[in-house]
Parts: sequence; structure tokens; C-alpha cells
Amino acid sequence: MINLENVEKRFTHEEEEKTILENISLNVNKGEFLCIVGPSGCGKTTLLRMIAGLDFPTSGQIMESGNEISGPSRERGYVFQQYSLFPWRDVLDNVAFGLEVEGLNKEEIYHKAREYLKMVGLSQYEKSYPRELSGGMKQRVAIARSLVNNPNVLLMDEPFSALDVNTRHKLQEELVRIWGDEQKTVIFVTHNVDEAVFLADRVVVLSRNPGKILKTFNIKLPRIRNRTNPEFMELKKKITNLLDIEI
Amino acid sequence: MRKIIISLILPVSVIVVWAILTTFTGLIPSYFLPSPSEVFESFESLLMNGQLFSDTSLTLMRVVLGLAVSALIGIPLGILMGWSKTFKDLSSLLMGILRPIPPIAWIPFAILWFGVGLESAIFIIFVGSVFPILINTMDGVKRVDKVLLESSYTLGASPSQALRKVVIPASLPSIITGLKVGVGVGLMCTVAAEMIGSNSGLGYLIFTSTSMLDTGSAIVGMLIIGIIGLSADYLFSRVEKEVSW
Repeated sequence: MINLENVEKRFTHEEEEKTILENISLNVNKGEFLCIVGPSGCGKTTLLRMIAGLDFPTSGQIMESGNEISGPSRERGYVFQQYSLFPWRDVLDNVAFGLEVEGLNKEEIYHKAREYLKMVGLSQYEKSYPRELSGGMKQRVAIARSLVNNPNVLLMDEPFSALDVNTRHKLQEELVRIWGDEQKTVIFVTHNVDEAVFLADRVVVLSRNPGKILKTFNIKLPRIRNRTNPEFMELKKKITNLLDIEI
Repeated sequence: MRKIIISLILPVSVIVVWAILTTFTGLIPSYFLPSPSEVFESFESLLMNGQLFSDTSLTLMRVVLGLAVSALIGIPLGILMGWSKTFKDLSSLLMGILRPIPPIAWIPFAILWFGVGLESAIFIIFVGSVFPILINTMDGVKRVDKVLLESSYTLGASPSQALRKVVIPASLPSIITGLKVGVGVGLMCTVAAEMIGSNSGLGYLIFTSTSMLDTGSAIVGMLIIGIIGLSADYLFSRVEKEVSW
């Protein structure tokens, strides 16, 4: 569904060329939950931005369903690490944004927006403004805002990294539930190994300087996953060790 | 309440010192600086014969019209300059040169181009108020959070939709600030604007009464302009609060 072929990204900074990502080849299957894990500065956000069409590879190709990605699209929803709700719109109008620019009629827009707001459990907050919401609620709204467009793939860049542990675990469970219900393809970037093992069908581990694919782990554990399961802990240990060598 | 009392201390002291220096001690002769009571007498007679009301409303009309032209030109141009780097590079040198020119310097050209009368006055006020509006708008557009823009693109917005639904609402507080500063500068230009061709307005009142040594009326005109400015500032601050989230 999403295919990356020999993707390379170089930046020129003060006349010094730096390779951020090197030789990334990856196929993401429809309906798959893929996590990309790597130390900070390994270029994982850059990789996700290139899949979104917000950035472009220096060489290599990124394709979606056989077409080269040429720019951002409603087919590739993106949830940012930073809070990204429109502060002048209330919660419902934030969720409605994508449908509004698509040009649906008002009735349909709000009907759908309410449906997705309900999905993330925030129906009673539709008239609230982003500044009145907690961090976890903001990211829930951001997820609803992306999913209401019914995108082919949901790209998530460390969306829960600013949240406390309890909220983060709760949102991870919700995300797994939503992913199961909606049958979405998800590409989720994180530096948190526990998060990756909890969420993913497949974990891709990136190295640092330059970012290369170190190893891929397939995880078959049933969901919702139990963090105290020996296999879960074993996987976490393996990936953590792999990353420790990198740092 | 405390704030009101504190803010009144200085204006009241100024009036008291002013009264002591003029009325009570006569240290400053009245042709040099009229006393508060003389100013009040001028105020009364200007109010009675209706001149104050007509001058104030005429000046207000010119400022509002001048400001409207500034907003109509300054806001779109500011958005364009903040949005497109090419357009900014193209226009920044010209803007940089035009901006420091005092509005009063344009008077001869205002007369040449628009003749004497309303259009010239509006032009002078426009020249004064367009730059703060333009520059604040441009800054607001440039400072729009990149994440909000990128969000709109990944949600399917076209560049023109992003402009309408993200850039403009996000820079609205800066645009209001620009208008607020613009009103202030516009009022500062009224004397210059009404020197040419007008035979009415607060600016006209100020410089004709000064030339006839009717300093009391001049001070009335000055104070009214000050009060209009203060009210406009208050009004725009309220709107600013209303549109900031």
C-alpha cells in the first residue's frame, strides 16, 4: 500500500552535507499497524513527513497504491507531536475541518464530525475550545479530525509523547480499539519501545547517523496486549538492547 | 477602582499645576498658555454654536474613510507579503523607502493629484495609517504556526483554503493591532490633512484658532483628538480580546 524504495534524505547545513536517512526500503500493508522506533535524531519524523508529502526524499521513491507521493493529501491523515488544533475553532468545528474543505453540506459535515467525536469519547466537549482541553483530549480530537476524512493511512508522529504515563496508556488502548474498528493502516513513529511493542503488528528499528533500518520485528501477540506477558517483556528487552548499542 | 484612581492622579495633577501657573499666580501669561477656565469657556462657546460637533464628526468621517482605504489596501497587501516570499522580496525595498516619509511631505502631491478637499485629506490619513496596518498584517501572516498550516494541508485544504481558513483567522489578532495603531497615526495626520483645502474639522480648528491667537479653542481641538484616540484604542483593545483565543 505504502512502498518506500531506497529512500535517502540529505540536508545541507552550513555547506556540510549530512545524510539523515539512508537506503530505506519498506512496504506497509493495508490494515497494518506499523511502528517506527529509533533514537532521537534518527530521522524518523522526517521519514513520516516524507510519507505525508510534507517533505521529499533526496533520492528514492515513496509510493502510495502505486502512485508517487507529490504532496500532502487527505488520504494520508497526520497527527502531529505538537498540539495542532485550530485554536479559533471549537472542538466540533476542528473535527469538521476536513469535511468542510471537501465541500460537503453542513448537515452531513456535523453528522459525521459528531460520530467521530463520539468515537474518541468527547461528545460532551463539542462546544469547547482547544485551550480548555487537556493534552490527552487535544490529541484525541486531533485523531478524530484526521479519521473523519476516512484516509487510506493514518500517520502519527509521537502523538502521546507529551502525556503522562496513565493518559498515554489509556490513549494507546483507545487507538488499538479504533484501529481494530476502523481497519485503518497506521504508521506510528515513537522513541518509546514499550509503546511500539504495545501497539504494532510490526516494529521497524532505525539506527542513528544516518538512519538505516536495523531490524524488523513482527509481533503476533493478541490485543489488548498485556505488558506483564513474558513474551512482551522479552521483545521490549531485545529492541531496547538494540537501541542501546546505537546510543 | 484602584486602577481608575491611580490613572487619574497624573491628569488631575497636570490640571492643578496648570491652573496654579496660569489663573492663580499668573506666572504664565494667557497669550502664552490659556488657563483651564479659558479653555473651558472656549469649549462652551464651541459647543453652543455647534462648531465642535460638526468639526468632530467631520474629522471622524475623514479618519474613518482614510482608515477604510488603508485597510482595503494594507490588509490584502500585508497578507500577500506575509504569504509569498517572492512578493515580499519584490516589494520590501520600496516599502522600506516609502514608510519613513512623513505624511505631511505628501501634501503638495495630494493637492496636485486630488485637488483641495476631502480626497486630499483622506489621502494624507491613508499615507499615515497604511503602513502600520500592512506591517502588522504581514507579521501576523508570517508568524502563523507552521503546524496549523501543515495540518490543514494533510486534512485536504488547497492553498487558497489554507489562506482563508487558517492564515487569515490566525493573523486576525495582528490585523486588529494594525488597525489600532493605524487609527492613532491617522488621528496624528488630521491637522496636516485638514490644513489643505478643508474649512472644517478639528485639525482645521486647531491651526486656524492658533493663527488667530485663540489658543483656548486650539487646546479644545487637541483634547478632543486625544479623547477620540483614547476611545478608539479602548474599542480596538476590546475587539482584540474578542478575537484572541
